[in-house]
Amino acid sequence: MKERVIGIFYDGESSVSHEVALNFDKEKCIFSFETIHNKTYSWELAAVIFNEKGSVLQLQHGNDPIQSLKIEDVQFMDDLTIFRNKNGHTGWYQRLLNLGIKIHLGFALFIFGFIGLCYVYIIPWVAEKSVVLIPAVYDDALGNTFFEQNTFLGTVDARKTKALNLFANELELRNTKKLKFTVIDSDIMNAFALPDGSIVVYTGIIDSMKDYEELAGLISHEVAHINHRHSMKMLCRNLSGYLFISTILGDANGVMAILGENVNTLQSLSFSREFEHEADVEGFEIVTSNGVNPKGMSVLFKRLQKENLVEMPEFLSSHPVTANRIQYIDKMIKTEYFQSKENPKLQSLFQQIK
Amino acid sequence: MENSLGSRSTYKLEFQGNGKDFFGIVIVNWFLTIITLGIYYPWAKAKQLQFLYGATALDGDTFSFHGTGKEMFKGFVKAILLFVVLYGLLFLFLYLKFPLVGLLLFYLGFLAILPLAIHGSYRYRMSRTSWRGIRFGYRGDRKELTVNFFKWIFFTVITFGIYGSWMSINLRKYLLGNVRFGNIEFDYDGDGGDYFVLNLKGYFLTVFTLGIYIFWWQKDLFEYYIDNLSLNKDGKEIALNSTVEGGDFLKLGVVNLLIIIFTLGLGYAWVVTRTLKYLFDNVELDGNIDLNSIQQTEENFKDATGEDISDFLDLDFVM
Repeated sequence: MKERVIGIFYDGESSVSHEVALNFDKEKCIFSFETIHNKTYSWELAAVIFNEKGSVLQLQHGNDPIQSLKIEDVQFMDDLTIFRNKNGHTGWYQRLLNLGIKIHLGFALFIFGFIGLCYVYIIPWVAEKSVVLIPAVYDDALGNTFFEQNTFLGTVDARKTKALNLFANELELRNTKKLKFTVIDSDIMNAFALPDGSIVVYTGIIDSMKDYEELAGLISHEVAHINHRHSMKMLCRNLSGYLFISTILGDANGVMAILGENVNTLQSLSFSREFEHEADVEGFEIVTSNGVNPKGMSVLFKRLQKENLVEMPEFLSSHPVTANRIQYIDKMIKTEYFQSKENPKLQSLFQQIK
Repeated sequence: MENSLGSRSTYKLEFQGNGKDFFGIVIVNWFLTIITLGIYYPWAKAKQLQFLYGATALDGDTFSFHGTGKEMFKGFVKAILLFVVLYGLLFLFLYLKFPLVGLLLFYLGFLAILPLAIHGSYRYRMSRTSWRGIRFGYRGDRKELTVNFFKWIFFTVITFGIYGSWMSINLRKYLLGNVRFGNIEFDYDGDGGDYFVLNLKGYFLTVFTLGIYIFWWQKDLFEYYIDNLSLNKDGKEIALNSTVEGGDFLKLGVVNLLIIIFTLGLGYAWVVTRTLKYLFDNVELDGNIDLNSIQQTEENFKDATGEDISDFLDLDFVM
């Protein structure tokens, strides 16, 4: 290895350049040189910071003053690199950089995988769990804003509303907050629950029902949404997903951000399915614990599937009745143990609502 | 070669970094940051800055960034604590059912942090940057900056934002005017009125041309930044001159966009390096300061709190 090379030295006091002859002692791992003013320097290899750019190597030493030495001898640079690699003088970070672009692409794959995993599973999960920290009053506020901002495509039917509230009173719904039922006169075949405990049912769906068991099933399903704070959870999931994506793409450009946003909306659609399932399961339990036959749920779902639900705004958490959901309910009806008997009171209230 | 009085010369500024090297740094940094659950972030940032500064050369010698992960980690922790306190106050007041008081304190707190963060990050960045062993420095006064900052904010608010142009230029003048490079002084000579007109023109032409003019607006902004900047020492000076073109910005922007899309973001490193290369290649320096005669005058400053707060707030205007 070449042990002597000409370099340019900057002493950290002025920008005047000094040409020096640099010696490298392989045994002691020390760089030493002398300026024309007879000042001698010796730097330990371990204390030197190396910065290599093309055919220029900069050795940097000290903190105050910071001194540096510039070498443009390619042979010496190569020898020095080999020497440092061989004798373990290359830092672990540099070794990671030296792995080359193929390994780095592997790292990139790992990073993409990790980000994907975070986005699909971890972040929504954390966001959902953190809903516990949000006081219940915010659910009410959310429900209120929704009420103020939307018209419900019809007028309230006061008589049926009263009867429906009485109907719900007859059932033990495991609700944690006060429920408020409203019947709206419209052909829409739907019902939805708001986070503040309001449940809106359209006459369209009620008129299609043949039995009070169907109505009990519907109500139980909607109440389960409220009990599980699904609206709040969905809001948190969507927001966190959005935040996560915009953080990741923070320093990229606007187009990427828009792409990210669209990805996020696609994702949020499948979230609501998971919640529907949860509401079905709890709805089933509520129905059976009230001694009502859960077959009503199954019958209702089958009819809804046939009718092909009217499109509703996303926030209304439309209830996509999939074959999957019906299958699951039918399976529960077969496998779960339950007892049911006719409930004349519910039956008569149901007739008033119809 | 020294004391070449009166003789003017040009100086070469260039960016020598290549995308492949930077890609390695970016990927390794991301990787380490992920597997350490974010703790490595300050070290990653130091490595990245060291690379970018180290790839920028003036007259053949590169700049160096001496900031370390450890310094920035300390600043990082302090910055986090500060934000925890701010958010803590907000939630405390929300809990006590005084949401308005909480929000007011929260935003005032943020506003109050801004000048401190700007001051801190300038001091840190400058003091940790060197060329040929000569440190940069920032000599602004924190109190003076804070008072001015709030004065400018006040004017901006009462003029419904119009004063914002003057505020930007005043801030730039103050910050850059206090930058030292050894015994060389920086000077920024912009005017709020010109800047306002420039932006007004840029805005309307961009709207009229359905966005296409935005690249020429960008060119004007860069030019206004560079052309008004100069370096002075003992009555001698170096003047900066931008040669960027709107058409080039258009090409740069479109190609960068295509790179990002077709590499699923992996080409980010190349986007950064080719952008920096274009910008540095298009800054001309000429004047009569002898770069071999700069004296070390600026002290070390290792507190990175301001730097890290600025990072959190995404304030990215440190040069």
